[in-house]
Formats: sequence, C-alpha cells, structure tokens
Amino acid sequence: MKFFFLILKNLRRNLLRSTLTVLGTIALVVVVTLVWSILAFLDEVTAEKKSNLKAIVSERWQFPSQMPFAYADTLTEGAAREETDVRPLDNMTWQFIGATLDPKNAAHSERVFAFAMDPNKLRTMMDDLDHLPADQAAELDKAIAAMNENRQGAIFGKEWLAILNKRVGDRFTLYGRNYRGIDLEIEVVGTFPPGGRYDKTIVIHRDYLNNAIDGWPRDHGGQKHPLAEKRLNLVWLKVPDTAAYTRMANQIQSSPFYATPSVKCETSSSGIASFLDAYRDMIWGMRWLLAPACLVSLSLVISNAISISVRERRQELAVMKVLGFRPIQILVLVLGESLLLGVGAGFASAALTWYGINELLGGLKFPIAFFPSFLISRDALWWGPLVGGLAALLGSFLPAWNACQVKVSEVFAKVA
Amino acid sequence: MIAAVPSTPFAVSLWSLTPLVAGVVLVVLLTVLGKVPVRYNIRNLSVRWRTTLMTALAFTLVIALMTVMLAFVNGMYKLTQGSGQPANVLVLSEGSTDEAFSSLGFSDIGDIELVDRVLRDESNHPLASRETYVVVNQPVQVRQPGRPRGRFTQLRGLEDAALSGLVHGLELEPGGRWFSREGVLSLEEGKAEAIQCVIGEGIARELGRDRLPEQLAAAKNKERLEVGETFSLGGRTWIAVGIIRYSGATFDSEIWAKRDIVGKMFGKPNYTSIVLRTASAGDAARLKQFLSKDFSKAAVQPYLETEYFASLAETNKQFLFSIIVVTVIMSVGGIFGVANTMFAAVSQRLKDIGVLRILGYSRLHVQASFLLESLVIALAGGALGCALGCLSHGWQATSVISRNEPGSSKFVVLEMAVTGDTIAVGLTVALAIGLLGGILPSIKAMFVRPLESLR
Repeated sequence: MKFFFLILKNLRRNLLRSTLTVLGTIALVVVVTLVWSILAFLDEVTAEKKSNLKAIVSERWQFPSQMPFAYADTLTEGAAREETDVRPLDNMTWQFIGATLDPKNAAHSERVFAFAMDPNKLRTMMDDLDHLPADQAAELDKAIAAMNENRQGAIFGKEWLAILNKRVGDRFTLYGRNYRGIDLEIEVVGTFPPGGRYDKTIVIHRDYLNNAIDGWPRDHGGQKHPLAEKRLNLVWLKVPDTAAYTRMANQIQSSPFYATPSVKCETSSSGIASFLDAYRDMIWGMRWLLAPACLVSLSLVISNAISISVRERRQELAVMKVLGFRPIQILVLVLGESLLLGVGAGFASAALTWYGINELLGGLKFPIAFFPSFLISRDALWWGPLVGGLAALLGSFLPAWNACQVKVSEVFAKVA
Repeated sequence: MIAAVPSTPFAVSLWSLTPLVAGVVLVVLLTVLGKVPVRYNIRNLSVRWRTTLMTALAFTLVIALMTVMLAFVNGMYKLTQGSGQPANVLVLSEGSTDEAFSSLGFSDIGDIELVDRVLRDESNHPLASRETYVVVNQPVQVRQPGRPRGRFTQLRGLEDAALSGLVHGLELEPGGRWFSREGVLSLEEGKAEAIQCVIGEGIARELGRDRLPEQLAAAKNKERLEVGETFSLGGRTWIAVGIIRYSGATFDSEIWAKRDIVGKMFGKPNYTSIVLRTASAGDAARLKQFLSKDFSKAAVQPYLETEYFASLAETNKQFLFSIIVVTVIMSVGGIFGVANTMFAAVSQRLKDIGVLRILGYSRLHVQASFLLESLVIALAGGALGCALGCLSHGWQATSVISRNEPGSSKFVVLEMAVTGDTIAVGLTVALAIGLLGGILPSIKAMFVRPLESLR
C-alpha cells in the first residue's frame, strides 16, 4: 500500500505531465475502442454458431434475390415432406419495398426502403428484439398489435421518422419504386427501440403488400404485376443446431419445388460474410494497420513521458538506492506509475466512448454493408484499461529498466 | 473518342496547398526573425535525440496512417469520377435511380437509340450500348482462409461488346478479343459450350485467386486470370476471351458477356439501361434534357453518365468523414504527446533560457526558438509519415461504392492513390499538431525569469 501511495505521489508531483499523458492516452484509446467495437460486431455476426442458428433461403444466383411467393408456404416449413424431415423452430419472410413519398420527382425525393413481413415475427425472429427491456418490449408489442388490427399500420425506426419529418399516428402514401404502380397508404403505429440497428428500419404488413399485388390485375386488364412472381426476397428459418441446419439445407436444395428459380440455403453468418467480402481490405486495414498503429503511438507517447520523468529523477533514484531500495523495486515503481496512468486513462477513455457513442449519439455511423450504426461493446470497459495498461507497460519498460540501472556513484560523481 | 478522366497522382490544388504554405512560411519566419541561432535548436534536438526520435515517430505513424486512409478514399473517388464519359447519357426506366432496378422494354430501347444527337459509327449504327446489368452470387471454388464461400460478381450483358467498349471508352489488352455474336465457344466435343466473356482487370485478379491448384500450376499468370482460361458461374463454364485494359472505372470489376445468355440465365429478360454517346458534354446535357422533358415514346429516366457515377460517391463521403474524425482524434493524442516533450524541454533548459535572456534575446525570440523546435520535429515526422504512406500508392483493394440506398452498391476493385493533395494535407496536419502542441510550452519558456532560472 505504501508503494501505491508513493506511485500516486510521484504522479502528482508533475501534474502537468501526468495530465498530458492521460489526455494523450485517452485520445488514442478512443480510436482503438471504436475500431475494435466495429470489428467485434462484424466478427460476431460472421461467426458460425453451433446452436440456435438462423438460415437464409434466397434465390441461388441473383442478387437481390427474387422468388415467387408460392415458395413461402413450403420454405417456411423447411421444405419438409416426410414426418421424419427437419422442420424449423420458427420462420419469417422478407419482401423488400423501395418507395418514394413524391411520385412526380421520384428520382430526387427521399427514397424509402421497407420490409414487408408478418409483424408477429418481429419479436421472435429479429435479432435483439427478442430480449428487450420490459418497457421497450411493451411498446413494441403494442405497435405489433396495432399492425395486426390495421394492416396499413407500419413500424418505423426513429431515424426514418426524423428524416421524413413524420410522427406516430401520421398517415401518408408510399409510392412504389420497385413495385411500380403499387401505392401503399400507411399509418405509423409505433417505433422501434431507439439507439440500435433498427433506427433505419421500416416494417409494413406483408398481407397489405400482397393484397395490393394480387389486386393489380383487376385494374390492368387481368395482367399480373411484373413483380408478382418475384415478390419473395428472403426466407429466414431458425434451427436448433448445425446438424438440423445441414439436414434442412439438403431438404431445401434437393427439393424439386424450387427449380425456376433455384434457391440456396445458407447460415445467416455465411450470407453476411459474403456481403462483407467486398469490404475485406478495409476491415484488414482497420484490424492490422489502424489499431496497431494507434497502440504503437500510444506506447511512444507514454514511453516519452516516462523517459523524461526518469531522466529528471536520476538523483532521486540514486538516493532511493542508497536508502535501500532494490533495483527490482525501482523497476516496479516506474512501471507502476506508467501502468496506473495507462489503466486509468484507458478505462476513462473506454467509458467515455461507450457513453458518448451509445447513449448520446445513438450509435457510431460507419458505412459498412447494411448495418446503419455500430454500438460500442460493453467489453470495451475491460479492453480500454487492458489496452492502456499494455501500451503503458510496453512503452515504459525501457525507461524503467534504465531507472533501476542507475549507478549511485556515477550520479553523485556528477553532482559533486 | 473522349478518354476516361486521367489520373493525376501528384496534382496539388490550391485549397490543400494554402495552409501548408502558410505553415512553411511560419517556419521560415521563425527561423529568420527568431534571432536565436538555429544551430542551438539543432544541437538541442540531437542531444535529446531519443525524445526527439520518439516524438517524431508518433507523428510518422499518425501521418502515415492518414495518408494510407486518404489514398483508399482517393481510389474510390477516382472510380466514381472516372467511370462516366462526359459525352455519354445513361438512360434507365422512369423513376429508377440505379441500373440494378431498372427495366427497359425492347421497343423502348429501339426508340431511344434513334433520337437525334446520338453519334453514329462508320456503318451508320447509333453509338448506343444496350445493357442488362445483374449482380450474381458466385460460389468460390477455392476457399481462402477466413474468406466466405461466395462473392457477389457483377455481370453486364451486351448486344455488341465492341460497340459498348467504344461507347464506354474501353479497350482490350493485347491478345484479347471481344466475344462473338453467338457468345459461346465449344471447348470439347460432346460437352456444353463455354460462355465467352471479357473481364475487367480487377475481377481478373479476384478470379485468378479462385483457381484449382492444377489450374494454377498450368497458368501463364499466377496473379490473375488470363485470356483462354475458364471459370464457373451460374452452373456454366465461362471462358475469358479478352481482358479490359485497366481504366480506373467500375467496369474493371465487371464481367461482360452476351446479353441474351446473361438475361436468360439470371432472370432478367429486359434491358436495364442504354448508354448513348453524343459529340460533347454539352450535347449530352441537351440530350438528357430532351429525354426527360420531350421524349414521349417511353417513360425514361436519363442521367449524364458522369452524374450517375458521381451519385455513387455517398459511401466515399462517409468514409472520408470517418477518416477525418479518426485523424482528428489521433492528432489530439499527438498534440498532448508533443506538448509533453516540449514542456520537458523547457523545464530541462531553464538555465539556457536564463542565459539567452541575459545575452539580450527577447521573450519573443525565446518563444520563436522553442516553437521552431516543435515545428521541425513535426515536419520531420510528418514528412517521414507521408513517405511511408506513399508506399500504398497503386495498391489494389476491394471496396463498395454506393448511393447509400439498398441495392445501389457496386462491388469494386480500386487502385489506391496518394495525390499531391494527400501529401499537402499530411504535412499540414503534422505542422498543425506541432504548432498546437508547441505553443503552450513556448509561452511558458517566454515567461521564464532569467535571474530566477539561473539561481
């Protein structure tokens, strides 16, 4: 404990230097925290899970996938035909809608992108919406119930509402861009929980879209809508484990029902990884250039501060040796000063970043793939001190070694 | 023929040069007006060489990183600015903002290419490229460690590849040819014919990595797929009959093949777009105006080709913003680092300052002397950082350009470009860090009392 107080006392002695080192460390740990949070999220969504995994069924070749809606009935059952076939635990279908609020100026007005799906699947199949805090869950459940009552109901992410300058209760028309001629009059019945991946999501009831497409021939001389047979974009299936997934994927891909177009079944992590492949060089740069360079810069900043401090205290270190301090104790003293600075600044930096990005900004907007924003991982609260501490140890080892090697006779000879 | 926008790797614009020049002028002024001999500063820096080196190295890292990141975004901008021909008009179906979602009928296409102002070739055919653009999920044959099982490949179906090459200002590398009218080639008797295609230089490198060991062993070029080599896509064998010469355009990342085959295979029977070549940028603007206001035969959405590709720069802007944020945060760290070094320098040289003051140097001379030191460390570290960052010039990297709207993404292979602007910005940032980090310590030095410091 005495040693700890001695470390604190030493740090307080040159408060300006300690403060500058702490501030420099805080700034550089912010960058590492941001980069690692993005990478940790991407690693998590692309890691193959062993249990409770989700599979995506999509058109085999074309992107974006477009399948007939007739596929939905059997695909949601995992193409099971026999009693012994594997059936998914849960499922959902996605239909993509591109729309505008201003049909006369479609090319330049605000472009809206929405999913049409069964709203009851929101709480069971959509990531993160299955374990919301009680108040947010109740609010979302209320919105889902409203959508079930009113098929024209839609749930909006907060960011979309802000962009479109709308609020809950507003009614307006979405003029179809991909479903040309299909105009959907919708009512905003609720919002997604704020500050997450659903801030830029809009969900409308799939029955409303399908009824509009099915009703198209009545006004168009019996002709089907051009996208009538291409309206199903993705089918999501939840399966208990990889064995069940493998069997179900075989059932789907070998089924004769899905010939034109043919379909493919992949785990959601594999699908996302394919999409992220285009960003691989940038992700590599973030992982192996940006974060390490920040760590090295951090070590240099700390190393410089500790070196200066050791140089200024050579006489004092010599006196300590005379008083009986062993070299290892002096080494620990100097390393301790640096470690305390690094760990403290690292924690402060991570905590500030976590609070600033998650609570104040509602996420870090970084344009990778279809993720609207990234949240700072809670793990940052231990990465930060660890990063600060490790950089401090690395940066201060040499100055600390020099400190414990101080020769009493040389120092006093100079003084004399 | 109007060539694609040429790359000007070391062009410097006034906006990036002005602050750098101001910084350099400041260094020169401090040297000239400072009075304290520069030798004194140089000696101090060399005596404390470890501290100087470590501070300069921190600069080097920050500036080198910034240079590499900016080179990446420059590569993206080069693509979005260089892909469109100024005299071309890209026509999509009404309301479409991207060719991926556009659908033009056969009769529409025929009417559009016959409008006035569209140039014609020697055989009096309109210089119009009829196109069907699809993005295809291509399973990867040889899975690289840490890479997914599939990639998204961009495919452009064309009627007449040579004509399309002419319209887009693209040429083939020597030894290649455009695909034939039939678009297929018999490789072995009794087996399905291979689909002929020409491929961009960027996608040729991607496909080159996807060769089986025996294919790789027999390959003339280990780095990329070459003319005569085959690959698999959509359950069929494709043969590269030509490689598009690198142009710095998005087409470098595409596969071009016969439209009839592509449309049928991937469920896009209609055209997605038609690109019309006019005589000049002015004509293109007039043609766009005509097609959007007065053309009544089909409902279309015309874009200047340059304007269309420029609209894909949304991701570039967001990346640039992120780079600025990261650089600013790292620079703040750098400022504190320099301030630490310079405060220590002032503390260690209190007696020197006292002597200088007694010798008659004014407070401003002392301040100038310390500020100069800080700027010199910054400039040296920054210059080294820029030099290191320059090594990334010409590296190829994969990325995505998009309008920030689902489905508008183009998967591209870009060439990183360190420009004169990048270097100017790097040196300016280094000088700014040096100035901000050195200003407070130099003020402290300025107010040192000579007699007290010598006691």
